[in-house]
Amino acid sequence: MSNIIEIKNVTYNYVEDEVEYTAVNNVSLNIEKGSFTVILGHNGSGKSTLAKMLNGLNRPSSGDILVDGINTRDEENEFLIKKKVGMVFQNPDNQLVASIVEEDVAFGPENLGLEPKVIRQRVDEALKAVGMYEFRNSTPHHLSGGQKQRIAIAGIIALEPECIVLDEPTAMLDPKGRAEIINTILRLNKEKGITVVLITHYMEEAEKADRVLVMNDGEFIADGTPKEIFKNVKMLKSVGLDVPQTTELLYALNQNGMAVPTDVLSIEETADAIMHYLEEN
Amino acid sequence: MLKDITFGQYFDSKSVIHRADPRVKIVLLVAVIVFIFLAQNYWGLLLSALFVLFSMIITKIPVKMYLKNLKAVLPILIFTAVINAFYGEGEVLFSIFGKLNVTTGGLSHAGFMASRIMLLIIISATLTYTTTPNDLTDAIESLFSPLKFLGLKTAVHTIAMMMTIALRFIPTLVEEAEKIMNAQKARGADLESGNFKEKIKALIPILIPLLFSSVRRAAELADAMECRCYNSGEGKTRMKQLRLHFRDLVITIFTLCFGAGIILLNIFL
Amino acid sequence: MSVLQVKNLSHSYGGNTPFINDAVNDVSFTIEAGEMIGIIGHTGSGKSTLVQHLNGILKPTKGEILIDDSNIWDKPKEIRKIRSKVGLVFQYPEYQLFEETVFKDIAFGPKNMGVSGDELKKRVLDTCRLIGVKDEYLEKSPFDLSGGEKRRVAIAGVMAMRPEIIVFDEPTAGLDPQGRQEIIKVINEYRHAFNATVIIISHSMEDMAQMADKLLVMSKGEVVMFDKTEEVFKQGDKLREIGLNVPIVTRVFDRLREKGLNVPNNVFTVENAVEALKKIKAGDRNA
Repeated sequence: MSNIIEIKNVTYNYVEDEVEYTAVNNVSLNIEKGSFTVILGHNGSGKSTLAKMLNGLNRPSSGDILVDGINTRDEENEFLIKKKVGMVFQNPDNQLVASIVEEDVAFGPENLGLEPKVIRQRVDEALKAVGMYEFRNSTPHHLSGGQKQRIAIAGIIALEPECIVLDEPTAMLDPKGRAEIINTILRLNKEKGITVVLITHYMEEAEKADRVLVMNDGEFIADGTPKEIFKNVKMLKSVGLDVPQTTELLYALNQNGMAVPTDVLSIEETADAIMHYLEEN
Repeated sequence: MLKDITFGQYFDSKSVIHRADPRVKIVLLVAVIVFIFLAQNYWGLLLSALFVLFSMIITKIPVKMYLKNLKAVLPILIFTAVINAFYGEGEVLFSIFGKLNVTTGGLSHAGFMASRIMLLIIISATLTYTTTPNDLTDAIESLFSPLKFLGLKTAVHTIAMMMTIALRFIPTLVEEAEKIMNAQKARGADLESGNFKEKIKALIPILIPLLFSSVRRAAELADAMECRCYNSGEGKTRMKQLRLHFRDLVITIFTLCFGAGIILLNIFL
Repeated sequence: MSVLQVKNLSHSYGGNTPFINDAVNDVSFTIEAGEMIGIIGHTGSGKSTLVQHLNGILKPTKGEILIDDSNIWDKPKEIRKIRSKVGLVFQYPEYQLFEETVFKDIAFGPKNMGVSGDELKKRVLDTCRLIGVKDEYLEKSPFDLSGGEKRRVAIAGVMAMRPEIIVFDEPTAGLDPQGRQEIIKVINEYRHAFNATVIIISHSMEDMAQMADKLLVMSKGEVVMFDKTEEVFKQGDKLREIGLNVPIVTRVFDRLREKGLNVPNNVFTVENAVEALKKIKAGDRNA
């Protein structure tokens, strides 16, 4: 499979109060087309800085990022890159520009200069894809956080991107809103084949990913499937992250001399693992 | 509540006026205001009143909504009437302080002026009640679009974009101001008592956080807009094209008939 | 001894705001001194409206709030005095920071309450020590701190008023796991240092299981349960009916029970769970 994003030896430095800091330190990574990748890391680990480089919002201090083969330094293709890799941010309120839902979703396609008929079609499709079509004439201000964030996602979908990067899209939402967003993202990935890069510090959200990367101090310190990553409870805790409570339980049982497998995640699997262990012993 | 400021006045009673082209509505409102000012006599005023009454009926907006609007400007109305009552000719009805005379002519003039203001307010309200702020913004951008040929293309677009963003963010910021106010109250801030200087000083704990938050929001919004390929309106199209319909023609002809009526009354009476 | 009594409290947002329904309807409960109470309920269930009554930010439409047996609205002009008795930390409290230095910002609350001079300085320094804000931070601008630090300083601003009851509206919202743990630690430390009564609104059942003595469950503006944490989490079905759930370990144990394993129904933390499974493994199948 080909890569939608190629990150090659990327470093990002910034200066604050005359001191130079490195937010991202010589990172290399390929994101495969159609994949669902989760990047975990505590606040300040460099994950947001990296995210903003994926569609050219920030440019690397050194190294290169290629989007579908186009270098993000290539200013002539600035809009092409942003069209291919869309971004959704943490605070839904600060991403919506218009006070009517459908007009907000239309903002992107309007900027692309598409025909009104085509825009209409894209807006309707995008709103249906996130399950907000019936709210098309509402005012975002009166919707819940989860609904607003879904509209923000629709605004990106309407650009028909190949990849969506979401930077902590659920951090400000309640559990219901969080579930809405995760389900929406999964659907877009599975049904529409859109590549997803999800940045989060909620471990549960990484459960369904194809691949999980752990970032700390501007570097990737782990890369694997969710089950492979969550096994390393100690490592995750040492970089200020947490594991799902199921993993926590299995880990604690092991610490207490009960050798249950630790590479399962769901409640069902966990219960099965404990059952199986007790039956054998 | 303050939060509802942006839908402001809009009242969705789904009339034909609601569906009319907002550009037509703005232009016709300006025309009607001019016609009402042109009306020189009571017959003209009566015709204007009939026109306004008819407009009120076809907008399907409850009368009490209009009355609410009038109530807000009641002081201005009374003030105008009182001032006008003193400037008139004719039989003196009574005097105040021996100098200010209230005359029959003055009273009738006062009534005329007050009625005229009432009509102007009601007819203006029909626009804001039947048109969403977004439609108004679009219409203003469209009406000013001839300026684009004068090389002011970006300026027109920028102003329209600013209005759109302002409409979108006013309720968010008002809500935020309320939250910050409550949070500072919870820390014992006294926002009610004290003299003017103390009251201004008490606002600092609210204004500074609000300022910081607006700057933060603006930075995030700028990123989000860039991610959605915003390019200062260069090559931008619109999903919703404003199009003139038959109803717009009917409304226009009707309004022009009203204007013609006013002028005829001025000539023949 | 009851420190807080809410009697038949109702609050409706009058006028035309049908969109945000966060009203409270005939709510009554009593909280004993020193208790740690968790309030759970989905968004719009009335939790935030309820807690804003406890220090007189909102005035009840009906009903009353008694603090130490006296009605807080007896003397409306002195409502500000209540705010040093009942501290309220709003959601995302870092957005209320405004002073030039961390010290001044933390001092804002106690200063408004009339504390000054050495006493003020002592209060601020003691609070900083309690919540782990280093001395060299005191002269920094609060806007230069990291997200988690800002949150702690903002919370310190309320704690410096030394309220006997302190209320938190989703104190860990938006923080990463480490930040969340730090806030929980700070809350516990304040509670123990001043024998304070603590009320926390949270969406995390796992955090609540660890922290709260009792849970107040709200739905549609009403209190549907108010009981020991253990008792509330035994009623998984009732919680799910109103869109809430039990902690993940409890759900694992529910599954185990469905599979025929005789596990207790009062397991809601990882520690409980390990103990219970140890007993079962030891052969005590009737545990």
